[in-house]
Amino acid sequence: QTQVAIPVAKKRKNKQRVLLLSSRGVTHRMRHLMNDIEVLLPHVKKDSKLDSKSQLHLLPELADLNNCNNTLYFEARRHEDLYLWAAKMPNGPSIKMHVQNVHTMDELKMTGNCLKGSRGLLSFDKSFDDTEWGKLTKELFTHIFGVPPTARKAKPFVDHILTFSIVDQKIWFRNFQIIEKDPLVANGAPQTTLVEIGPRFVLTPIRIFEGAFGGATVYSNPEFISPTAVRTAIRKEHSKKYNVRKN
Amino acid sequence: ADAVPIQKVEINNEVALARIRESMQLDPSIPWTETLAVSYPHTIDADVNDDLNRELAFYKQALHSASHAKSLAAKSYPNFPWTRPNDYFAEMVKTDVHMERIRQRLLDEKAGIKKSE
Repeated sequence: QTQVAIPVAKKRKNKQRVLLLSSRGVTHRMRHLMNDIEVLLPHVKKDSKLDSKSQLHLLPELADLNNCNNTLYFEARRHEDLYLWAAKMPNGPSIKMHVQNVHTMDELKMTGNCLKGSRGLLSFDKSFDDTEWGKLTKELFTHIFGVPPTARKAKPFVDHILTFSIVDQKIWFRNFQIIEKDPLVANGAPQTTLVEIGPRFVLTPIRIFEGAFGGATVYSNPEFISPTAVRTAIRKEHSKKYNVRKN
Repeated sequence: ADAVPIQKVEINNEVALARIRESMQLDPSIPWTETLAVSYPHTIDADVNDDLNRELAFYKQALHSASHAKSLAAKSYPNFPWTRPNDYFAEMVKTDVHMERIRQRLLDEKAGIKKSE
């Protein structure tokens, strides 16, 4: 994305607010991931858990009550699988994704840190522009993860970058601190280095719906296998072993 | 009995996807500083199972984007606040207690390596 010359008189604003909530039955790890996202995005409004998993149509109403035009909804299933809905309010689209490989900020391996409320840069790799669903996802993620300068709790200065990369048909999320260090040799330009802050997660897109939490499916990922199906297959494999031995 | 493989129907309605994107798109004339989003001009080709190279590729992407964004900011917005001054203190994402634990762990690791040498 390149910048365009801006006329000073007509200044257009990027107005975004994100409603963040989860379903019942989230584990501590999922809850910590949610907290990490809340702490990184100052334009997020966190709401209490949604009571029913089947009543997703309540979400647009909830978003409206909170003056939010985006929603991030974490849906926990069977106390182990986590799904993430990213949706534009009130008219859609919404993207349903499966969340895997979650590492939260609490882990001591990630040594970076950044200002609470500083606006992060967003980086998307080229694969997002190769497909239509990628372009749509990029646009929606720019709305949701890009902190508008007018966010109430936003602070100036840029000290971290959120990266989204598509590898193996999955979206990988990373968050790095940007450090401008003076090089050891004197009178050189400051050098940029990065240290990971966290969290980490991988999103597998499952479906994209036209509306907000509903509507026609405009994209479905044929390669997605639900984690339940994977577990069933493993269990069947085990039972096969037993049956062979028994016969 | 052999399980019948379920044929999954792939839906990829590109026309609808494009239409939806255009309907929600941000005004292209808004200044770049409103979103701070940049594109990385390469795809990530690293093997998914190769942790080291994969993370290195992500690091490269972030580094490239960070310097690209910095030049964008410097070029078009001379007063854009980028680097935090040394005397600007504010609450951080990770608390001091947490950072101390990270430091302690690093020290412990170093000590462990020294001991084994």
